[in-house]
Amino acid sequence: MLESQVSELQSGSLARIASAATAAELEQVRVDVLGRKGSLNQLSKEMSKLPPAEKPAAGKLLNAAKQAIETAFDTRHQQFADAALRARLDAEWLDLTLPPPGPRLGHLHPITQIRSEIEELFVSFGFAILDGPEVETEYHNFDALNIPADHPARDMQDTFWLTGGNLLRTHTSPVQVRGMERYQPPLRMIAPGRVFRNESVDASHEHTFYQVEGMMIDREVSVAHLIYFMKTLLTAIFKREVTVRLRPGFFPFVEPGFELDIHCLICDGAGCPVCKQSGWVELLPCGLVNPNVLRMSGIDPEEWNGFAFGLGLTRLVMMRYGIDDIRLLQGGDLRFLNQF
Amino acid sequence: LKFSYNWIREFVEGLDTPAAELERRITMKTAECEGIETVGALLADACAARVESVAPLDGTHNVVAVVEAGRYGRKTVVCGAPNCRSGVVSAYAPVGVKTVYGVQSDGMLASGAELGINRDAAGILELESQTGAPLPGLAPDNIIEIDNKSITHRPDLWGHHGMAREVAAILGNPLRDPVKLESIPDSPSRVRIEIPDLDLCPRYSALVFENVTVKPSPLWLQYRLTAIGLNPINNIVDLTNYVMAEMAQPMHAFDRDLLRGNTIWARPARAGEFIVALNEERYDLNPANLVIADAGGPIAIAGVIGGYDSAITGATTSIVLESANFQAASIRKTSAALKLRTDASMRFEKSQDPVNTVRGLARAVELLREVSPGARLVGGLADCMKPMVAPPPISLPLDWLTRKLGRPVPPSEVREILERLAFGVSESAPGRFSVTVPSWRATKDISVKDDLVEEVGRMIGYDSIEPRAPAILATVPPANEERVFQQNLRALLAAQGFTEVYNYSFVSEDAARAFGFEPADHVTVANPIASDQALLRLSLLPEIWKNITENAKHLDTFRLFEIGREIHKSAEGLPDEITHLVAALYNKEGDGREGLFEMKRVALCLLPGGELRPAEARAYEHPARAADVLWRGGTVGRLFELHPRLVEGRAAILDIDLRLMESLAAREKRYTPIRRYPASAFDLSVIAGVRELAGGLSDKLARFAGPMLESIEYVREYSGPPLAEGQKSVSFRLTVGSAERTLSSEEVGQIRAGIIEGMRGLGYELRV
Repeated sequence: MLESQVSELQSGSLARIASAATAAELEQVRVDVLGRKGSLNQLSKEMSKLPPAEKPAAGKLLNAAKQAIETAFDTRHQQFADAALRARLDAEWLDLTLPPPGPRLGHLHPITQIRSEIEELFVSFGFAILDGPEVETEYHNFDALNIPADHPARDMQDTFWLTGGNLLRTHTSPVQVRGMERYQPPLRMIAPGRVFRNESVDASHEHTFYQVEGMMIDREVSVAHLIYFMKTLLTAIFKREVTVRLRPGFFPFVEPGFELDIHCLICDGAGCPVCKQSGWVELLPCGLVNPNVLRMSGIDPEEWNGFAFGLGLTRLVMMRYGIDDIRLLQGGDLRFLNQF
Repeated sequence: LKFSYNWIREFVEGLDTPAAELERRITMKTAECEGIETVGALLADACAARVESVAPLDGTHNVVAVVEAGRYGRKTVVCGAPNCRSGVVSAYAPVGVKTVYGVQSDGMLASGAELGINRDAAGILELESQTGAPLPGLAPDNIIEIDNKSITHRPDLWGHHGMAREVAAILGNPLRDPVKLESIPDSPSRVRIEIPDLDLCPRYSALVFENVTVKPSPLWLQYRLTAIGLNPINNIVDLTNYVMAEMAQPMHAFDRDLLRGNTIWARPARAGEFIVALNEERYDLNPANLVIADAGGPIAIAGVIGGYDSAITGATTSIVLESANFQAASIRKTSAALKLRTDASMRFEKSQDPVNTVRGLARAVELLREVSPGARLVGGLADCMKPMVAPPPISLPLDWLTRKLGRPVPPSEVREILERLAFGVSESAPGRFSVTVPSWRATKDISVKDDLVEEVGRMIGYDSIEPRAPAILATVPPANEERVFQQNLRALLAAQGFTEVYNYSFVSEDAARAFGFEPADHVTVANPIASDQALLRLSLLPEIWKNITENAKHLDTFRLFEIGREIHKSAEGLPDEITHLVAALYNKEGDGREGLFEMKRVALCLLPGGELRPAEARAYEHPARAADVLWRGGTVGRLFELHPRLVEGRAAILDIDLRLMESLAAREKRYTPIRRYPASAFDLSVIAGVRELAGGLSDKLARFAGPMLESIEYVREYSGPPLAEGQKSVSFRLTVGSAERTLSSEEVGQIRAGIIEGMRGLGYELRV
C-alpha cells in the first residue's frame, strides 16, 4: 500500500520536475513535495502508523525516494540558474572597440625623455647631476672659463646681455665652475640645462636650446681616457657601436681642445648627403680642462687633471627622432608633442 | 677664411697632395675646413685671342666677332661686350658651340668676372699677350675654406704663409720664406712715429715711397684676391691686402701728399674727434678708440679702417705704407663699439705678432716693384716699438706629456714635431725638454706646457691614442633631489593625460601686461633679438596662454603642462629663479565646471591633502572661479579658470611654485597602526545659503565632532523644494571611532547631538 504510494509520488514528482518550464514552477514542485507540508512529509507521517516490524523497510523506501527527488530538483535548479546567468551575461554584451572615457596618457617632451636617459646613464657612471642658474654672471659664463673680456672667443657665442651686466648663460659650462667651487676633487658631474644664444631663429637655429655639460676631475685623466669614455657613452646613447675621432678644436676652457666626430649614423662612414660625403658628423666639443680654469676654481693643475665635454641635447633629440625643424621643440604644438 | 691652394703651394716645396686630401689633413691636425671650392675653371683652357673683325648683329647690341685663337684656330663668336672691337687682344675660352640670335657662336670671349679674375663684368678682358698664349700666371685653383672659429687662437693662421707652415709641418715638406728683410735699406726714415702708450700700440713701422703709379693690379694679383673673396681696387690697395692675406699682417697706405706734417701718431682719440672712413661713413670717436693721426687729426681708426681724406686715389704719387701692431682687446672694443668689423680688425683682435710688421713691409717692397714699376723707396724704416721680451722657455717633462696624452711619444718624435712647427727644443735635463716658442705663437696662443700637449697630440694624430678605461673610485654620486622630485611630477602629469611643452624664457610687454605684470618689474635683455622678446618671464602663464589659444585652433580638448623657471629681480646678486609647474586643461565645449574639478582632482594627486581657498580673482582669472592652493601650511599655488575673455572655450589652470612645494614635501613617513575597533558612521545634512562653501561647513562639523572624528566626507548637495529659495542642503558622512574601544550607540548619539547643537548655535538648521 505505502509502497505504491511512494513510487507513485516519486515518479509523479520526477515528471513534474522534468517538465517545470520556469524556476517558479520548479520552486512550486519543491514546496509541494519537499516542503514542510509537502507530500513526502505526509507519507512519512503515515509511515509512523505502520507496525514496528514494517517501519525499517518503509523508511528505507521513503528515504530513497526523497533522495531521488532532491537530486533531480538540484540538477534542474542548477540548470535554471545556469540559464539565468547565461542570459544575464549575454545581456551585458559590451562593444569594447568603443573609446574609454577619461584622458589618454600624456607625453613627456622629447628633450625631457632624452635628458632623463642621459642622466640615468651618467648616474650609473657615478656622475652627479648639478644645476646652475639660467641667468649667469659674466664671471661664471666667461672669465672663469678662460674667456676674458675682449677675447675674440666671445664671438663664438652670441650673448644675450641683461641690463645690469648679467647675461643669459650661453652654455652649461658655468656649472662646471660652480661644481668645482662646491665640491672637492675628485669630481664627476654633468649639468643638463637650457642655454641661450643671441641668434635669429630658423629651421636649424634657435636662441634657446639644451646642452649637457660633463666633467671629470681626477688625478690621472688623459686623452686616452677621454676617448674611451666618449666612445662608451656614445655607444650607450645611440645604442650601437659608434666610431669616433678627435680633431683639434679651439675652446678656451680646454687645452688641448677637440671636436669629436662620429661616423655618420646614416651611411656608417661611407659618405652620404647628411654628412656631406665626408662620412663623419661633428658631434661634440671636448678636451682636457685648461689648467687656468682649474686654478681659477682653486684646484691645483699639477695634482689634478680633468676632461670636459658639451653634448648638444637638442641636437641629439633631433638626430634621434629625425626632427628637421628645431622650432618645433619650443613651439608648444601638441600635434607634434603628442608623437613622443 | 679662404685659402688658395696655389698660394700655399708657393711656400710648401714639392706640395703635390691633392686639395681634398690636404683639406682632410688640415682638418685632422690644425683647423676645421668647411669645404673646397674650385675657382677659375675656365682658365685651364683659356688663351689670349685677337679680334680680327667685328660685324654688328642686327637688332641686338651684340657683335659677331672673328677671333684668332692660337691653338684653337679662327673662331666666330657672338659677343655682347662694348669693348669688343677689331684688334683687341682678349681671353678666349672654348666653351662649346651654341646658337645665339641665329648665329653659331663657337666658344666665348670672356670678362674678368667670367674667368674669376676680378669682378669686372662690364667688358671682355683686354690683354697685352701674344695671340694664343696662355693667360699669364692664371690657372684654376682650389679654395679651401677654414672655419674662423677654429683659428681664433692662431693669429699666424690668418695668412697663407702661416697656413703653409702648418701644411709643411703636417706633410714634412720644406717651407719657403718669401720675406727678404734686406729689401729694407738701413737709412733714416722720412716720417716720425709717436706712440704715447706702447701697450695700446706695441709697434708701428712705416715706409715711404715716391714715384708711385696708381693703376689696376696685374691680373695674377687680382685673381689671387678675388679667389679668396677680396675685391681688387688698385695696385696699392691690392698690395696691402695681398700682404695681409699672405703674412697675416694688415697694412694701410696713406697718400703722403695728403698728410699734414711728417709725424704720425698712434694715440687714443680725443673727445669730440671724428673721422670719415674709407667706407665714406662718419665715425664719432672717443678716448677708448685708438687712432692714427697726423698733425691735423685722425687719419685712420687704428687697426680697423683707414680715413677717406688720406686715401689712395688715381692722383697719388707718394705713399706712406703702415705696418703696425695693436693691442688686441683695444681693437676689438673699438670694432665692436663702432659695429665695424674689417679684415684688419679681425686679425688684430687675435693678438698679432709685433715681429711681423717689418716682415710685412719687406714683402711689400718686393711686390711694389712688380705692381708699380718705377716706384722708389725713400729713406729707411720708421719703426717705433715697445721693447720685445722673448717669453721664457717652457719646461716640458716628457713623462708628464705621456700622462696627459695617455700614450708615450718617443723623445725624438716630440722634438721633430715641435721643431717643424718652429719651436726651439733642447734637452734641459734627462726626460725634460726646454721649449722656446716662436714669436707668432707667443702672443696669446702658447704659454704653458699644456699648450705643447696639443701641438704634439695633433701632430701624432689623436687616432694614434688607444682608448683606455680610467681607473676611478666607485662612488655613489650626491643625489639631486630636486630633479627626482620634478621627474616624478612629470611622470604623474603625463599619466593624468598632460603633455609637456617647453616655452621660451622671453615674454613681450603686452603679454606681461595681460597677466598683470609691469614691464619694469622684469629682468630685461639689453640686446634682444626682437622688441617682443626683451623681458624674462615672471610667470609661465603668458606662454601657456599662447599654447592654449594656438592648440585650440586644432583640438577641441587637450591637457598640457610646463615645468620651467620664473626669473625674478633680486636686490643683489643673481635674479631669483623659481621653478614653477603650470598645467592647463582645455575644453572647447561646456561650462568649465567639469574641467575645473578635474584639474582640482589632478592637483590633489600632486598635492595629497591639499585644499583650495577661494580668493579674489586676478585680472586674467574667471572672477568667480579662482582659488589659492594650500598644502601643508603653505600657499603653494593657484587654481583658476582662465578669464573667458582671454580664450574661446574653457581653460582650467593650475600654477604651483615647485620650490615651495618641494620644501614642504615630507621627507619621512611613519606608520600609524590600523584601528582595531569598529567605527560608526552617520549622515548629517546642513541647510545653508547656496554660496556657502562646503569646505567651510565641513570644517565646522569637524570642529563640533571632537576628537573621536575619524573622517568626514562630502556626500551630496541639494537645492529646491521644500527648501526656501537661495538655500541648499549639504550632506556629509561622518565616521567616529576610538583606538581603545568600540563606541557605544549612546556615545555616538551624544557626538551627533553635540554637532547638531553646535551648528544650531551658529544658526544652521540640520535635516536629520
